[in-house]
Amino acid sequence: MVSYILRRVLSTVPVMAIVALFVFSLLYIAPGDPAAIIAGDQASPDDIERIRQGLGLDRPFLVQFGSWLWRILHGDLGTSIFTNLPVSSLIAQRIEPTLSLMLLTLVLTIVVAVPLGVLAAWKAGSWVDRTIMAFAVFAFSLPVFVVAYVLAFVFALQFEWLPVQGYTPLAEGFWPWLHNLILPAIALGSVYIALIARITRASMLEVLQQDYIRTARAKGLDQRSILFVHALKNAAVPIITVIGIGVALLIGGAVVTESVFAIPGLGRLTIDAILRRDYPVIQGIVLMFSFLYVLVNLIVDLTYTLVDPRIRY
Amino acid sequence: MSVSTTITVPVPPGLVIAPQLPDLLLPVKVRRGVTGFLRNHPTVAIGGGLLLCLVLIGIFAPYLWTLDPTALAPAKRTRAPSADFWFGTDALGRDVYSRVLYGARVSLTVGLSVAALASLAGLAIGLVSGFVRWADGILMRFMDGLMSIPPILFAVALMALTRGSVGNVIMAITIAEIPRVSRLVRGVVLSLREQPYVDAAVTCGTRTPMIILRHILPNTLAPMLVQATYLCASAMIVESILSFIGAGTPPTIPSWGNIMAEGRALWQVKPFIVFFPAAFLSVTVLAVNLLGDGLRDALDPRMAKSL
Repeated sequence: MVSYILRRVLSTVPVMAIVALFVFSLLYIAPGDPAAIIAGDQASPDDIERIRQGLGLDRPFLVQFGSWLWRILHGDLGTSIFTNLPVSSLIAQRIEPTLSLMLLTLVLTIVVAVPLGVLAAWKAGSWVDRTIMAFAVFAFSLPVFVVAYVLAFVFALQFEWLPVQGYTPLAEGFWPWLHNLILPAIALGSVYIALIARITRASMLEVLQQDYIRTARAKGLDQRSILFVHALKNAAVPIITVIGIGVALLIGGAVVTESVFAIPGLGRLTIDAILRRDYPVIQGIVLMFSFLYVLVNLIVDLTYTLVDPRIRY
Repeated sequence: MSVSTTITVPVPPGLVIAPQLPDLLLPVKVRRGVTGFLRNHPTVAIGGGLLLCLVLIGIFAPYLWTLDPTALAPAKRTRAPSADFWFGTDALGRDVYSRVLYGARVSLTVGLSVAALASLAGLAIGLVSGFVRWADGILMRFMDGLMSIPPILFAVALMALTRGSVGNVIMAITIAEIPRVSRLVRGVVLSLREQPYVDAAVTCGTRTPMIILRHILPNTLAPMLVQATYLCASAMIVESILSFIGAGTPPTIPSWGNIMAEGRALWQVKPFIVFFPAAFLSVTVLAVNLLGDGLRDALDPRMAKSL
């Protein structure tokens, strides 16, 4: 078990190395000469050359990559071209709203999608199943900002139940925080809910055909414990896998959702960085989100053993 | 089970008469041809029909009572939908109806191009990876790395390097999607390689390129077709997201994402500017997804039961 965890953790190293190589190449081939930008308008070609040598920009690609990687591993993500602030502190300032939104969406998705999928599988072929699956197809086709605008229009503008936009830090209390995030979380979660509900249903349908389910029925267990104890536990591995993979949807969608609901998170930072071509910031964000994604899927892999004791490494 | 057949003739002891089977199997109506296929798979018909309508709208946009989608009319800013301006006008007085119809061109071009290009590239990489042992490890480790970058961020990062243009958007989304497609193709190729008919072909002395062309490639087409429809849907969503956050199609070309981005500042007072492109985008993506689901059910009946 310990050796499995070690091997699995080590296997993320080459993956992250490729991500790092991609992200570094991004900055390397980005248009614009950093030395010229730093030197300013009045610098002579000699000055620019001196700065370039000072920054190590005249060295070979792999050498530059190595020293860049060394800095990244020490927590230095570079400096924003536009604001002159360290990228790591820019990200740190904006990370709370984004993580809040993603965590709330994740919880909401699991709480809504898994029971829906179980219900659809239990009532397979009935109108309940068809309604849930039709909803899943529709929700899967609705782009995140479409859902966001419709929800904001109905629940914030028409009924005025919830705020149209903004964010309240968790430090100011749980309810104000939730109050602001509930609409964005539903909007961001709709695609994800559809995806997880479909996978849950498919996985449950397969398990429900197994002999031990028939045995459980035959010995008179009640429907709820068959579904949630016997079946769902055995159907859990594919569901958890897709929950992990689907985090990529959350990351992409969060950028848009934050923009619609004016949440001051990493999405806003990303959009500003794109508009200003602030490459170190874009680089830092891509690196950070990819790391988060790899981490989530690492955790997912490690939870298999908890969910399904038959899996031994 | 009780035997309900009445027996008139005395039966000799020891002889068991088989119970008469009820007529459970109803006659199956076999439908042939294109219309038969469409009637058997209504989702393909609905999705395909909707998509065809949208393609026609995109092609014939200039003849569908549209105005110049980029013509500014400051005097007619943010008009509500009316007989003159069916979908209203935006903050610069441009006709939203015309812009939405022309916007269909961008979305469909991006969706179809990405589906075609990413499928081709994924097919090539997946085939190489499935057949060339030494390349497999390197390629797949590389693809694993790229797959851990969320696709939208991947496309955003690539778009940051270039100017916004429809061609660059297509390239960026295609590159972001290639890792997933090649993984899928590799999986299909690896399972096909183990099939007895491939062994038979090898035994007969068929060369590897011929085996790929004659035995492997045709069998990857069905899953690829289904995958391509999903790619198309996802590419259209990513394009609109890129345009929406200002990293996609340049503002001079009307695209659904652009129109929404421009309507964003006004959406609380003039929701129609955002509503119409959003509705078109949703219907288009829904059409493509329905087509994909229908094709999947039609081409792989085993999958149809589970998903």
